[in-house]
Amino acid sequence: MSWRLRIRHTTGYAYDTPVLASFNEARLTPVTDVDQLTLEAQVVTSPEAEQQRYWDYWGTQVTAFDVHRPHSRLVVTATSVVDTADARPAPVVSGWDAVRSPEVRDRFVEMLTPTERTRPDEEMVVLARKAVEGLDPHDAAMAVMALAHERVAYRPGSTGVATSAQEAWSQGSGVCQDIAHVTVALLRAVGLPASYVSGYLHPRREAAIGQTVTGESHAWVEVWLGGWWAYDPTNTVPAGERHVVVGRGRDYADVPPLKGLFSGGGGHRLDVTVEVTRLQ
Amino acid sequence: MLSRVAESLYWLGRYVERAEDTARLLDVHVHTLLEDPWVDEHRACCDLLGVMGVPVPEGPVDARRTVQLLGFAPGSTSSIVGAIGGARENARGIREAISSELWESLNVTYHSLRVQEADAARRGPFGFFRYVRERSAVIAGTIDGTMPRDDGWRFLVLGRSIERIDMTARLLWARAGSRAAGAGWTALLKSCSAHEAYLRTYRAAVEPERVVEFLVLDRLFPRSIYASMLVAEQCLAELDPTAGRTGVDNAARRLVGRARTDLEFRLADELLADLPALLDRTQTTCSTVGDAVSRRFFHREATLAWASGSST
Amino acid sequence: MADLFEGYPVGVAWDEVLDADGRPREHSAPLVDALRELSPEDLDVRAAALASAFRDQGITFSLSGEERPFPLDVVPRVVDADEWDLVERGVSQRVRALEAFLADMAGEQAVLGDRVVPRRVVVSSSAHAPAAHGIVPPNGVRVHVSGIDLIRDEQGRFCVLEDNLRTPSGVSYVIENRRAMTRVFPELLATHRVRPVADYPAMLLAALRAAAPEGVLDPTVVVLTPGVFNSAYFEHSLLARLMGVELVEGRDLVCRDGEVWMRTTGGEQRVDVVYRRIDDDFLDPLHFRPDSLVGCPGLLNAARGGRVTLANAVGNGVADDKLVYTYVPELVRYYLGEEPLLPNVDTYRCEDPDQLPEVLDRLDQLVLKPVDGSGGKGLVIGPQASDEELATLRAQLEADPRGWIAQRVIQLSTSPTKTPDGIAPRHVDLRPFAVNDGDRVWVLPGGLTRVALPEGSLVVNSSQGGGSKDTWVLARDEVVAEGETTHDDLLPAAPEGRLLDMGNAVLADQQQQQQQGRVTC
Repeated sequence: MSWRLRIRHTTGYAYDTPVLASFNEARLTPVTDVDQLTLEAQVVTSPEAEQQRYWDYWGTQVTAFDVHRPHSRLVVTATSVVDTADARPAPVVSGWDAVRSPEVRDRFVEMLTPTERTRPDEEMVVLARKAVEGLDPHDAAMAVMALAHERVAYRPGSTGVATSAQEAWSQGSGVCQDIAHVTVALLRAVGLPASYVSGYLHPRREAAIGQTVTGESHAWVEVWLGGWWAYDPTNTVPAGERHVVVGRGRDYADVPPLKGLFSGGGGHRLDVTVEVTRLQ
Repeated sequence: MLSRVAESLYWLGRYVERAEDTARLLDVHVHTLLEDPWVDEHRACCDLLGVMGVPVPEGPVDARRTVQLLGFAPGSTSSIVGAIGGARENARGIREAISSELWESLNVTYHSLRVQEADAARRGPFGFFRYVRERSAVIAGTIDGTMPRDDGWRFLVLGRSIERIDMTARLLWARAGSRAAGAGWTALLKSCSAHEAYLRTYRAAVEPERVVEFLVLDRLFPRSIYASMLVAEQCLAELDPTAGRTGVDNAARRLVGRARTDLEFRLADELLADLPALLDRTQTTCSTVGDAVSRRFFHREATLAWASGSST
Repeated sequence: MADLFEGYPVGVAWDEVLDADGRPREHSAPLVDALRELSPEDLDVRAAALASAFRDQGITFSLSGEERPFPLDVVPRVVDADEWDLVERGVSQRVRALEAFLADMAGEQAVLGDRVVPRRVVVSSSAHAPAAHGIVPPNGVRVHVSGIDLIRDEQGRFCVLEDNLRTPSGVSYVIENRRAMTRVFPELLATHRVRPVADYPAMLLAALRAAAPEGVLDPTVVVLTPGVFNSAYFEHSLLARLMGVELVEGRDLVCRDGEVWMRTTGGEQRVDVVYRRIDDDFLDPLHFRPDSLVGCPGLLNAARGGRVTLANAVGNGVADDKLVYTYVPELVRYYLGEEPLLPNVDTYRCEDPDQLPEVLDRLDQLVLKPVDGSGGKGLVIGPQASDEELATLRAQLEADPRGWIAQRVIQLSTSPTKTPDGIAPRHVDLRPFAVNDGDRVWVLPGGLTRVALPEGSLVVNSSQGGGSKDTWVLARDEVVAEGETTHDDLLPAAPEGRLLDMGNAVLADQQQQQQQGRVTC
């Protein structure tokens, strides 16, 4: 059964010294594809600014805006209404040849190449390869996801936005972003194309309709098993009706919810809230 | 025209003028020291450094040391070498906006300074001063002959005029202490290339009152404060054609205009008595005009350093 | 008189002037004759005049923060009209194919689907710029300016050594070399009919204006430079001056709501076309290096919105990546249905597992080049490398085979060059410049001949002890190519007999006095 969700994502920057100008890009608009339909989406900023929208290389909708008057606070509010679908069963894949053929490797080369944040260290490669010995691609993917879940405990605040897969792995903890990075790194290490997915999660399996709850920005992965299949290694479930996709990329850096530049050398504080409401 | 280019032209004008005026000043200063057997060399040198705003070093200061500091100190734009370097650096960043001949004459001057300096070490500094004066004339002539009379030229001439006002005021400061007629006042006229013009104008001996009158108020002599203010004012008026029927809303133009009219209706007789205050005001005007020009035209915002932020 | 060519060795490589028997090649005869008239002292005087002309004008490049002159050799390189015809057509063909490739990569990527170029080759290029995805150049041109590096092999064939489609530099030396040679060696120039190079800025400006966003009738073009400390600053400034447009730095520009403005004394002024000489990485800190101080945030999105044109386009480096280079002959066939007029130099793809072992075996015989190095940086010439250097290279290759290509050592052609010991052969290459205005690809008749000044050196880069030569492309007898200056008579010959005004009375008085004086003595 599909869900309809409303999401309200507010990001506030408070600057230590007034900022004269800032340039920003928001990736906050959920995608529309076979599994998801975005009915409404808007991004509102304060101070107000003219917006430019475009779809980037990875297929994510970007809202770009710049502010040219002095301001001490910038608030970006993104709201959207999205229909999501149930989790799909994993594609049936006939064997390793189907996912490791030269054609597949060439087509998905970007999702097979380690990036700065997803480069595995030697231990990760060895353990991942050991975990998939003798398994078919689907079971191998499941084994790798389990390995990531087991080795990196979910512990909010233990990592930062720039933490790499190796760092999260060696300290044994992280948030969804780190677990997704580790999973992607391990999947690629065993030759399975994998992408990083950024979006939202409704925290309750049995959500009451009309009730607004605190949600979160979330990250999970997609793996190529003859077709893309989405799985949430933090919660060890296939991504389904509670997951809202905003963007896919090689790692976090391809789909940051908000990135920007501001003039002046002062620091800034950040606060983020996500509210989700199941509408039907 | 680009604000950055305008700013560079303005400073190009100022530095070239500064190099020339400093060379004139030093030339006369060193001559005076040589020719006057009673002069207190240390004190005269310290006075000169003070007037030029250069910190007086410890220990005895002689002519050599003064020439070193005001002539050859490489890093400081208070020296001739430094000012020419500054002019050339500014020109280098705006080569597309000036004629190649102007760039070449600056560049050639800059490159030959080292040879000239070595020469000065062997044969004394007068050849060097003369070289700087001549090169300044070449540069001025090139500006005159190759630059269209557009805004770029106006910024350059504005810079030159402001610098000239300031330098003439400093030269007068250097003499304002001594009321006695004599060699000092003649030297002052010479350092402004004004001796002969003065003699033709007054057909009389050099007297302090008249020298001051000539260097401050003369309408026709191009290095007088009044004449330079007139040029600066005109440049500012042409740079800002938006002026309406009443008032002047361009701060720089207003400042120069006020200072000029203040001079214009002054009695020559009171000039000498009031000289220190007048020179002080004139120099303040120069620096406030500089600030106002910068705010109005150069738009130099606090250099933007970008910081990045991202969120989850 | 001593013959300047006495003792000139031939046979090391293809010589541009003398054939294997030491006789002048047909098109070089006038040059050789003219030079034979000169004494070594004459030549010294000219060379000194060239050097001081360059220093006085400040024609320099910066190396590690120091201004250095780019030495101009006093002996020009002469290219025959027929040969130039081949170069011109070959360069134009190559640029058209590379344009088509970039357009395809930005669109449907048919070339990948048809397996002409593997996708991995493109996306693994360090110049691959996903951030520029979706920018559509108004007149379809991405390679407004290019420099295609050619060499001549042992048989005298021109081959392409590499393509430069990002911010190729050197054209200012082409222009200035000619100006200097004209002044210092007018009689030598007069013995040849040389095609002019002074049209370049006009052609470039026309191409930039043609690239303006749609609906802009009188576009404002600017040249964007990283500033005076950039090694090619002189060139940025020269081009701005000769095109009559502003030379701006990043801090002179401000992007606001998708439009680009420059700060002027009269307020902000809209900019339509930016000929940028800043590398992709530093152009827009919002999308590339956030620590860049020379760029301007918002430029890329303004281009994406179609409000400003960036020339050259961002991401062109994918097409001049040295690994992609190995596919260019295929691209010419694929997009144009033509055979390449200028061959590549035979190249091994180290990235190809079938080719790597052979490269590793023959490391001491090959030239190894990093795929994204420019200016000869990181290049290793096997036969000249020590065992230690080869061992390091081997390790680098094994760790990152995608990062390297290998070529056989080619003895670049030589050209007579003034050295401290007289005229001697030195190795040269040639970089012709092409400008694409959307209707056609125009190749500047000339180009930059770089010369490796140390004896036997094969590295011509200015940063590695290279100099340059004025490149004289000979005109055909009858045709004056389109776009080149012609000297139509605008005025009839001046009437004769009009004397100068006679001067004033002072002179007349003097003359009289002299005459009187003569009478009385």
